Amino acid sequence: MSSTDFRLAVTTIEELERQAIHNSRQIQPHGMVLVVQEPELKIQQASTNCAYAFGITAGEMIGKTLEELFDPFQFDLIQQGIERDNLDFINPTKMWVRKNGGEYVIFDGVFHRNRDGILILELEPAESQESIPFLSFYHLAKASVNQLQATASLRDFCQIIVHEVRKVTGFDRVMLYRFDQDDHGEVVAEEKLPQLESYLNLHFPASDIPKPARKLFSSNWIRLIPDAHLQPVELYPAKNPQTNRPLDLTLSILRSPYPCHLEYLHNMGVGASLTISLIENGKLWGLIACHHMTPKYVPYELRKACEFLGRVIFAEIANRQESEDYDYRMNLDRMRSQLIDNITQADNLVAGLVKDETDFLDLAAATGGAICVNGNWTLVGETPTEEELNFLVQWLYKNIDEEVFATDSLSKIYPEAEAYKNIASGLVAMTISRRNYVLWFKPEVIQTVNWGGDPNNAYETVNTEGTLHLTPRKSFELWKEEVRLTSLPWSSAEISNIKELRRAIVNIVLRQAEELAILARDLERSNSELKRFAYVASHDLQEPLNHVSNYVQLLEMRYGERLDEDAKDFIGFAVEGVSLMQTLIDDVLAYSKVDTQGSEFTVTDVGAALQKALTNLQRRIRQTQAQIEVADSLPALRADGTQLMQLFQNLILNALKFRSSAPPQIQIGVERQEDEWLFSVQDNGIGIDPQFYERIFVIFQRLHTRDEYPGTGMGLAICKKIIECHRGKIWVESELGKGSTFYFTIPVGGRESELRRRTAKNYSLGGGQ
Amino acid sequence: MSLEDEQQKTILLVEDNKADIRLVCEALKNSSIDYQMEIVRDGVAAMAYLQQEGEYASVSRPDLIILDLNLPKKDGREVLAEIKTDAEFKRIPVVVLTTSKNEDDIYQSYELNANCFITKSRNLSQLFTIVKRIEEFWLSTVTLPPQ
Repeated sequence: MSSTDFRLAVTTIEELERQAIHNSRQIQPHGMVLVVQEPELKIQQASTNCAYAFGITAGEMIGKTLEELFDPFQFDLIQQGIERDNLDFINPTKMWVRKNGGEYVIFDGVFHRNRDGILILELEPAESQESIPFLSFYHLAKASVNQLQATASLRDFCQIIVHEVRKVTGFDRVMLYRFDQDDHGEVVAEEKLPQLESYLNLHFPASDIPKPARKLFSSNWIRLIPDAHLQPVELYPAKNPQTNRPLDLTLSILRSPYPCHLEYLHNMGVGASLTISLIENGKLWGLIACHHMTPKYVPYELRKACEFLGRVIFAEIANRQESEDYDYRMNLDRMRSQLIDNITQADNLVAGLVKDETDFLDLAAATGGAICVNGNWTLVGETPTEEELNFLVQWLYKNIDEEVFATDSLSKIYPEAEAYKNIASGLVAMTISRRNYVLWFKPEVIQTVNWGGDPNNAYETVNTEGTLHLTPRKSFELWKEEVRLTSLPWSSAEISNIKELRRAIVNIVLRQAEELAILARDLERSNSELKRFAYVASHDLQEPLNHVSNYVQLLEMRYGERLDEDAKDFIGFAVEGVSLMQTLIDDVLAYSKVDTQGSEFTVTDVGAALQKALTNLQRRIRQTQAQIEVADSLPALRADGTQLMQLFQNLILNALKFRSSAPPQIQIGVERQEDEWLFSVQDNGIGIDPQFYERIFVIFQRLHTRDEYPGTGMGLAICKKIIECHRGKIWVESELGKGSTFYFTIPVGGRESELRRRTAKNYSLGGGQ
Repeated sequence: MSLEDEQQKTILLVEDNKADIRLVCEALKNSSIDYQMEIVRDGVAAMAYLQQEGEYASVSRPDLIILDLNLPKKDGREVLAEIKTDAEFKRIPVVVLTTSKNEDDIYQSYELNANCFITKSRNLSQLFTIVKRIEEFWLSTVTLPPQ
């Protein structure tokens, strides 16, 4: 249904509401009102038309008791009735009033106490002396309810109501009017004389039945205007002597309608009207509105019968509606549990949600859906582009606080959405956590709303004799409005189901976060165990080696003169072996020290790190007469400076070590790629056979004997680990005999940015990878 | 030369490993300085020696302590901390002589006011030289406050 909002200007609304108070002291002239002071039952106020029945003026009525006005038999009945708490037992009471000349006039007397507790007696002329027997209520209702049970849709139900009410009351037109969410109304059922223009399916703006009127309908369930052309009458005196205010007539059946409403009826050509409220859960759901072209009086009992009918049938409607809702809800529940099962099994939110794309969309009766986890989108069905979605999510993040937000007209609050109105005029947004969203979309559906007259000009203000009056529109001719930029509405069942889904997802995510925290703690523990192991290796393993080395040397020192060449060779091998073992331990230690834990990545000048490495190597550089060329400008980036220095040192040392016969020429370059820096260390050395490109980076892997080239085979493994810690890559390109170029990359934002990117891909929330 | 200078010096070697003890002794074998080498094999014994408890009731107070870091019963770091916070012992020079090259050990030892930190060399002649220099430096070169 349309959510188009035809609001009246503020002044008009205020005017309408002001009138509610202003006019409450007037009553319709077909009946009389007596305000009675308890317990003496003395008249305090009387309507000015009471002379007609009682033969004396209202002024003369004041101070008289009911006992003086009615015969003793009636008075006893009244007195007994009033003493009971529930006035319904005496309502209505047939009352005889003797006019001058001994003629009796019969009235339906209805008592009520208003909100100030003041007892009010309303007298309406009774058309028949007979009460309608209760059984007729029953038959009326039963026949209707039986019909209802064979009826399928809500509209059909409503049609039966108007049919039955018209049959019983004989009004020219009976309509069932249903309020929409924005309080405008639609005629959903109508029965009428054939010659009358139909109002069926027409919408009426909220101002036709303004808030105070709707409030009255909620408390006073049945309202009769038997002659819309009669002048209302006043109460005398105007103010109630007990409260010193005009009498509160909210619950009065005779209370005069607003002049504006009367004019509204006149403009519609209505001479009499009966309105019955339909209340659901204390809220005004709709009205049964009966119109007659000429004045028409409906006796109290018949009105009550209609009210009863309305209530009984309406209870049946609400029941049926609930069970329809119930079936839909059950279906939604089933889909939701399936989705949650999928999520749990997939151990990944996105994969679980979209495992069954149809269920995912049906959950909200949507045509498209999108899931945003850490900036990555997964799209299902018809959706806006990722770029549009990024802006939408930003807007949601800034403007929407609800965990589940729904609108059937997104572009009304977010104008940019008009660009994709055919995809997403309707939006449900579920926030999982900061900037992580699940969205459902529905396209624009252009709807034609038929208004009973132009809703933009429902009322106008007219200036008569210097006073402003509201006057309703004269024409109720069909006024078509096309409602654009609006999708079909999201049902409350869908919204509450998505709220349930959110709760379940949040629980799953929290549980996963807990598991991750446990994993992190385990890692931390094993990491500190590794550090402990490294220490043991550096100290406890070195110690016995030192002893072997030292004592073998001591042997040689003390007894060298007494040993032959063989013995000296053997000692030499022992010392060499121990020395190699010590170097290996040192290198393994160095390798194990390269990790991300404990070392703070700071903005590091690559040039400075390289310079340190060159300084450490200066003796070797001098010995080999190497030429080293360094790129003009090296960047600063987030890195571990010591590791970076070690990386350059190892790579340059290799270039010096694996030299050809020509003096080494080494070029160090850098190039900015899209989101990383690409470094290169190029040499003119012996080169590497392509089959060994991978192998050289593996721990302890060597391509040559130690006699040819000394070393442990750890240098490049350490380099690889350093680069991995910086979330980069390292590789070699080479040709045997022509030299090698080692390349490595480091992300521009340093480890953190790359970490974020990877987390987005790999974290269990993420999908599509 | 004063009378005190001619007195015999006492070195307390706190070291659990026999091979290391022997090496230090070998290194100092031909020393010109007159010294007495006292050896304890764990941290608890080291503190007992200093406080002259039990079997150490009549030992002489050391002029130099050579301390290994990794010791049974009581760790060398604890021994160092106790010596350097004790008003009576804190002026005795303590040389940490250890296999460890661990940076944390080095920082921690100086934090605890070790007088110097020396890593044992793998090279025998280097090791001998170092040990001799320790002895010469702390027992005859430096001037320490009178006991």
